[in-house]
Amino acid sequence: MGHAKRLTGLALTVALAGSLAACGSNNNNGDSASTKDNDGKAASNNSGTDTKATGNNAKADNSADTGIDTSKFETINYVVLGDKPKNGQLEKVMEKVNAILKQKVNAELQFKWVEWADWQTKYNLLLASGEPLDLITIGTDWLDTWGNAQRGAFLPLNDLLEKYAPQTFTEIPQEDWDQSKLKDDIMMIPEDHYTQWVNHGIYYRGDWAKQFGITQPITDFETLGKYFQGIKDNMKDVVPWDVNGTNGTLYTGFETAYTNNIDLPIATGFANVFTAKSYEERYTVDSPIFNDKFIDFAKLMKEWADKGYWREDVLNYKGDTRTELKAGQTGADAHHTQTFKGLRVDMDKAQPGSELQMFSYSDTLGNLVSMPITHGGTSVGAHSKDPGRALMVYDLIRQDPELYHLINYGVEGVQYEIKDGVRTRPAAYDDAKDGFYTDFWGGRIDKNEIPADTDWSGIGDIYAKYDKIKKPFPYGKFVFDKSSVDPEMTALSQVVGEQLPAILFGKAGDPEKAVKALRDKLNAAGYEKVKAEIQKQLDAFKATDQG
Amino acid sequence: MQGEVVRKSIRSDGTSLFVRGFGYAFIGLFSLGCLIPFLLVLGTSFTKESEIVKHGFNLWPRIFSTFAYKIVFENPNLIIGSYVVTIGITVVGTLVGLFLVAMTGYALQRPDFEQRNKISFFIYFTTLFSGGLVPFYLLVKQYLGLGDNYLAVLLPGLMSPFLIIMMKSFTKSIPHAITESAKIDGAGDFTIFTRLILPMAAPALATIGLFIALGYWNEWYNAMLFLSADMKYRPLQLFLYGVVTSADFIKNSSASSNVPLRDVPLESMKMATAVVATGPVILFYPFIQRYFIQGITVGAVKG
Repeated sequence: MGHAKRLTGLALTVALAGSLAACGSNNNNGDSASTKDNDGKAASNNSGTDTKATGNNAKADNSADTGIDTSKFETINYVVLGDKPKNGQLEKVMEKVNAILKQKVNAELQFKWVEWADWQTKYNLLLASGEPLDLITIGTDWLDTWGNAQRGAFLPLNDLLEKYAPQTFTEIPQEDWDQSKLKDDIMMIPEDHYTQWVNHGIYYRGDWAKQFGITQPITDFETLGKYFQGIKDNMKDVVPWDVNGTNGTLYTGFETAYTNNIDLPIATGFANVFTAKSYEERYTVDSPIFNDKFIDFAKLMKEWADKGYWREDVLNYKGDTRTELKAGQTGADAHHTQTFKGLRVDMDKAQPGSELQMFSYSDTLGNLVSMPITHGGTSVGAHSKDPGRALMVYDLIRQDPELYHLINYGVEGVQYEIKDGVRTRPAAYDDAKDGFYTDFWGGRIDKNEIPADTDWSGIGDIYAKYDKIKKPFPYGKFVFDKSSVDPEMTALSQVVGEQLPAILFGKAGDPEKAVKALRDKLNAAGYEKVKAEIQKQLDAFKATDQG
Repeated sequence: MQGEVVRKSIRSDGTSLFVRGFGYAFIGLFSLGCLIPFLLVLGTSFTKESEIVKHGFNLWPRIFSTFAYKIVFENPNLIIGSYVVTIGITVVGTLVGLFLVAMTGYALQRPDFEQRNKISFFIYFTTLFSGGLVPFYLLVKQYLGLGDNYLAVLLPGLMSPFLIIMMKSFTKSIPHAITESAKIDGAGDFTIFTRLILPMAAPALATIGLFIALGYWNEWYNAMLFLSADMKYRPLQLFLYGVVTSADFIKNSSASSNVPLRDVPLESMKMATAVVATGPVILFYPFIQRYFIQGITVGAVKG
C-alpha cells in the first residue's frame, strides 16, 4: 500500500514536472514588426566607412569598359528565407561562386538566412532594423513587400539599373517594371522570366482511368466521379481518394471549375470567402459560397461521400495521401502543377505504368490566372553599403550561366551530372552529405535552367496548354488593408474553418440546409461589411490601375 | 467563534470523505492530462516508423523499435551542445538575476530610501507600456551589438518588474528594525543585505529563483531573434523547435549514421529527440521539487 502510494506520488510528481518544463512562461508573441514604422529615410547610405579593401590586387576586368570603379573589394549580403544547410556544401559552393565574382566585379556574395522559425517576425524586423542589407528576397504576395517598401526598407532603383544591371534591365519589359513600382520608384527586380504554375488540381492514374473506359483526359468533376466509381467497383481495399478533411482543394476546385471567379489576394483562413467576379469584372467582389451552383456542388460531394469515394472519418483523417498513392493504396491526390512535375516521375518509379495525370481545375472552363510576377524578386536594401555593386552581383547571378548553375544546382560532378542535356544525380550522391540549396528565389530564369530527371519531360505540353488560356495576374499592386474590418475577417475565418470542410466532404447532413446555415453564419459574422470594404478598396485600386 | 468544535475523525465524515475523493480524482485526472502527451511522445519514439505512418501516434508501441534513438545518438554533440548552452544560461542567469532582483526589491522598500517611489514607478511603468518589438530588437542588435552573442538571451531575462514587485513585498515583511539595529552596530548596507536579509528571504529567493530558472530554461524567443543560423550551438528549446520543423538535423544525423535519407524514421525521430531533450529534466526534478513547493507556499502566504 505504502509502496503504491509512493509510486503514485512519484508518477504525479513526474507528470507535474513535465507540465512545468513544457509550459513556456515566455509567451512573448511579438506583434509583427509591420505595425511599426521606422523612420527609414531611403537615403543611399554611402557612408565612407573605409573597411580595408582586402586583396584588391585583382582589378576587375570589366571596369574599364563600363566606367564603374570596382577597385574596392565589397562583401554583398543577400537575405534569403530558409534554414541554412549545415553539411558544409554551401561553403564549398560559395567558395567557387566568390572566386568568379571576385574576378568579375571584385566582390563576394554572402547569404543571410532568415530561418523558418517565426520567419515573418524576423524578416520584417531585419528590414526595419536599418542594418546594411544589400540584396533582399521579396514577394508581394507573401512577404509584405509593398508594406516594407512604404516603410522605406528598399532603395529606389530607377537610375541604377541601366548602369549596374544592364542585362536584366533590358530583359524585363516595361509593363513588368511598372508592376514593380511604388508610385514612380522601381522597388524590386521581379522574377518574371521563370515559369512556375501553382494552380491546383487532382492527380489520377491514367492506367486505371483507361481500364474503366475513360479514354480522354479528365477535365471535369463529373468524369472524375466516374473514375472514382471505377475504383470503387474494381479495386478492393483501395480508397478512391484517401484525402485529409483539412484539405481545402475542393473549394478551389469548385471556384475554378464551376464559376468564373478569380482569387483575390485576401486570405480568410481555410478558404477565401471573397473572390473577384471574373477576370473581365476583376474589380467587382463576389463569393463562390453565395453562388447558387455551390448548393449543387455540395450535393455532388455528399453523393461522393455516400458512395465512399473517401473514407468515412475523412474529417479526422491525418494520413499521408501522397505516400498511399505511391504505395498503390489510393487512386488520387491533389496539389498544384509544380508538385505534379516531380510526382509524375516518382510515380513512374513507384508504380510503373501508372501514367499519373493531372486534372487541372482550369481544364473545365479555362479559368486560369498566372502567378504574380512579383511572387519572387529581389530588392536592394535602403542602407546598402554599395547598391551599385550589389546590382552588378545580382545581374551576374541571374544572367551568367556558370554562376547561375552553381547557385541553383551546386557543383557539377558532386550535386549533379548532365546526361543528354538533363540533370541527374551522380551515382555517389548522398543527399545528407552532398545536399545543397541556397533558396535563391529572387531571380531564377528559364533560359539558364537545366531540366532535371526529377521533372517530368512532358510538363512542357501542360505549360503550353496553360499558355493558351492564361490571363495575367491583375492584383500585383493591390494590397488589401484589413485594419477596419479585422475582427470581422477573423470571425469569417473561424466560420469557414468550422463549417466548410464538412460541406466540401459531404459530411454536413442535408447540403442545402448546411450551405444555408454557413451563409447565415457568414452574414452574422459580418460578411456584408467586409464585402463592402473590399469593394471600396477595389474601386480605388481600379482608379489607380487604369489611370 | 466561541462555539464548541466537535472533532470528528475524518474517516467517519461523509462530506469530507467526498471532498477528498473529489480532490484526488480531480488532481489525478489533471495529472493524467499532463502525463498522457508525454507518454504519447515516449511511446511513439519507440515505435517502428511504418506503423506511425499507418496508424498515427500511440501510447504503447505497436511494433517496438529503438532505431530512432540509434540515429539520435549517432550524432549527439548537437544535443549535448544545446544542453550545455541552456544549462549555462540558466545557471548564470538565475544566480545573477536572483541577486539583482533581491537587491532591487530590498532597496525599493527601505523606508529610509527617499526616491523609492519614483524609482518604483519607473519599474512599474514598463509593465503597462513597452516600446514594442522593433525598438527592443534595435536596442539589442544595433546599440548593444549583441547579435550572435549569448548575452542577448541572458540579459533581457535577468530582471522582470513582476519579480521585483514580488520581492519588494516579501522583504517588506522583514521588520525594518533589524536593518536599523544592524546599522547601529556599524554594519554597512551591503553587509546587512548579504548577512541578514538574504538568509531571511530564503523562501522568496527559492520561489523567484524557480521563476527565473524556468524562464531561462524555456527561453527560445530571444534566441530565435538574436542568435542566427551561423552559430553552432543554440539553446535547447530553439534546437528542438528546429528539429520538429525542419529535416535539416535529421539529414545531418542520417549522414553520420550512413542511413539513406528515405529510410530515416522522421516521426519517431522527432519524438526521440524530444525525449532525449526533456528526459533528464524530468528525472532531476523530483529530487529538488520539495524546495520549490516550500518556496512557493511560503511566498504565497507572505508575499
